[in-house]
Amino acid sequence: MKTTVTLIAPPTAMQPGGYIATAYADRSQPGTSRADLEVQESTAGWTVALRWRAPQAVIDATDNPRQFIDGAALFAPTVKDAPWISMGTPDMPLEGVLWRADRAQPWRVSAQGLGSVQRAEAPAGWTTAARYANGTWQLTFTLPAFAALTVTRQLGFAVWQGAQSERAGLKSVTPGWINL
Amino acid sequence: MGFSMVIDLNKCIGCQTCTVACKRQWTSNEGQEATWFNHVETKPGRGWPRDFHDMTPPAGVYAQQGLKGRIPMLAESGGRWQFDLESLKPGRYDPQKPLAPKTAEKGNAPDWGPNWEEDEGGGVFPNSYFFYLPRLCNHCEEPACKKACPRNAITKRDDGIVLVDEPNCRGYRFCVEACPYKKLYFNPQLGISQKCIMCFPRVEKGLPPACVGSCAGRARHFGLLEDPESPTHRLVKKFGIALPLYAEKGTQPNVFYVPPFSATGFNADGTPNGQQRIPMDYLKELFGEEVEQVMATLNAERAKKARGEPSEIMDELIRYTFNEAWKLPAEEEFGKHV
Repeated sequence: MKTTVTLIAPPTAMQPGGYIATAYADRSQPGTSRADLEVQESTAGWTVALRWRAPQAVIDATDNPRQFIDGAALFAPTVKDAPWISMGTPDMPLEGVLWRADRAQPWRVSAQGLGSVQRAEAPAGWTTAARYANGTWQLTFTLPAFAALTVTRQLGFAVWQGAQSERAGLKSVTPGWINL
Repeated sequence: MGFSMVIDLNKCIGCQTCTVACKRQWTSNEGQEATWFNHVETKPGRGWPRDFHDMTPPAGVYAQQGLKGRIPMLAESGGRWQFDLESLKPGRYDPQKPLAPKTAEKGNAPDWGPNWEEDEGGGVFPNSYFFYLPRLCNHCEEPACKKACPRNAITKRDDGIVLVDEPNCRGYRFCVEACPYKKLYFNPQLGISQKCIMCFPRVEKGLPPACVGSCAGRARHFGLLEDPESPTHRLVKKFGIALPLYAEKGTQPNVFYVPPFSATGFNADGTPNGQQRIPMDYLKELFGEEVEQVMATLNAERAKKARGEPSEIMDELIRYTFNEAWKLPAEEEFGKHV
């Protein structure tokens, strides 16, 4: 499957805590407006490739506390049509993988609602290959076993452009699940 | 309510013993070069980080739509200072090149830092003035940092101490952005935010925070704000002579200050005019309108003492016995709080 996805900014009004919802109430546009997605399933598992424009790559923010590391995450619902924008629920958790530009290995992630994402070491064989050139990130996830995706065949993803102070719920996401 | 601190600005001598005690105890690791849970700055001045007061909207960062706080740039903190300590070794020391900091990020001489404006006064000679303002996390009743964290990784304990749950922190820095006092710090080595922990491991064992216990001027008082036997309760609630900094930010700090007196000013002909050199308007900027009444109370109590009359307030501030500057619950009591 190969497609181009128009991304959205999740509504800041739903962000937990109280500060982001008001301080960032004027943020309605995603930092990344669209991304190319290519998904392949084989006997070896899943390969998911993302490609998006990023005028400035941030892989190290040590000297600039206002910048954040670029990143991207794939999620699949463990139960078909689990809430996507609000990141699942305790009864309908999401499973996924998180890449950050300063790390060689991805994290395995799970979520049961906004602000609940937990990171863990990725299973053996989960790898990412990232390349930044000509203002574009090209990122490929190789996931030999991604049970949630295999079961529900629904996928969503998020992209963070650190140069635009994107982090946490300030991100660019697919508007809903993409049915494979 | 919970633990609170009162700092008597008339007794702070700017020695930074508190700063060093804190730094040695908590923030001397890599990634914490620009982290000072406690520092003392000179007023009037732009403070640290530079112009921190202007980095959040005056009415409270979460009170108004679209008004964000600002994360200080490293340059506004003066950068991550590093020293070539090897140059001090025998045979390498060059008196023409005294030990001086360079920033880790640019290798240049810093142009700002904690208490960069040391002893720089305001006013016009001979009516110049300055005073010291120690600053640390205010462990606010309504912590802006806590409301800013989308992961709920900042907690306010039942005893009032505000902590970052470091394993749960992802380094998003909304807390740094939202804090009006800029007393949260991003640790780039660990990828998390860190802040003053009010020395809770010491406090739980009946010891005062390091900054309190090390204060050479006996300027700091510590205890539970609601405990009538606590020195902070007496100074804030009973006597009403200690005020929070920038109360208009709306976070209800639990660190309070006894406002400073200054030497008498002079008339143009050189005769003393009996007026405080620190302008009342400036004190109001820092501590609000109430400071005028507090200064009047302090003046009256000082006058009593000068006349040889008893003054409960001045005795409290003089602090004849240092160990009475803090009152802590017994160690076994802590299980009930945390």
